[in-house]
Amino acid sequence: MKEYVYDSVYLRSKDFEEGNVLFETWDPNARYAWDAGVAIGRYLQGLKAGQLIGRHCPECDRVLIPPRMFCETCFRPTDRWVELEDTGAIITFSRCYVTWDMIRITDPQIPAVIEIDGASPGMGIMHMLSEVDPDEVQIGMRVQAVWKPAAERIGAITDIAYFKPL
Amino acid sequence: MSLLHRIEHPRDALAWEGDMPTLGRYTAGIAGEKFFRAIQEHGQFLGTVCPICEIVYVPPRLYCEQCFEHLDEWIEISPIGWVHTFTLVHLDLDGNPLPEPLPLAFIQLDGADGGLVHFLDEIDPEQIFVGMPVEAVFKDPAERKGSILDIAYFRPV
Repeated sequence: MKEYVYDSVYLRSKDFEEGNVLFETWDPNARYAWDAGVAIGRYLQGLKAGQLIGRHCPECDRVLIPPRMFCETCFRPTDRWVELEDTGAIITFSRCYVTWDMIRITDPQIPAVIEIDGASPGMGIMHMLSEVDPDEVQIGMRVQAVWKPAAERIGAITDIAYFKPL
Repeated sequence: MSLLHRIEHPRDALAWEGDMPTLGRYTAGIAGEKFFRAIQEHGQFLGTVCPICEIVYVPPRLYCEQCFEHLDEWIEISPIGWVHTFTLVHLDLDGNPLPEPLPLAFIQLDGADGGLVHFLDEIDPEQIFVGMPVEAVFKDPAERKGSILDIAYFRPV
């Protein structure tokens, strides 16, 4: 059998728009709904109510946030809900001069992981910092959640607008 | 909410809803393009021939599925063939009843080792039988778009 190399055919948007090539379009309706589950469901309901909620592990005696129905360390089912403060301390942070959709910005966004008061050491959530001089942010800094008005909350992590220094 | 909590209404289940944009364009390919252009411009069927396996591919392929030989021998295929198999479709794509059953057939084209799935018309559905000779009826040239629907239907010869 002789070897045959096919000519490559490069298609541009223009070829489709001008009808130079025959094609079908296919637009499957890829709608989805992702079930938040029991723990995150309750957590999101808490956020809507302006309350941070964790779960307690009876074996490790730890309080986990975001809450989960089993402990990832000992695999025991967690046993109760724990209402937490909306204050905490910065575990780690970053200064971003590019947004998620690759737009350059002058004033940096400051994402941070915040260890929540009432949860076990190292247990925190990721959020944005604001009302702060980027140069003054440091690990260990005490911060508090700034909530959106109750009417604007939808049961999402963005129901907290940002964290600001205490 | 606990593990024993029962959701009584779907709205109680917290779910994130989203929509993935997945618009796709599917081209006919090199052989398919030539095949549909021949239907559009000349109202004729083309096929490719594998000289080794003696297979006549309709719709045409660019390579032989049996021996992988490159196929560059193109021949015109007769618009006449016979009903290889058929069915009567009673529901549309959404599952709604059609006003009349729609005969759909696989038509083996004369002189080819393949054929086309298409509609049958100008016949009483009761009269259709396997082996029935049929021919392609093309749409008016001005209405053709380079699509399989440039063939309006097949009808008994």
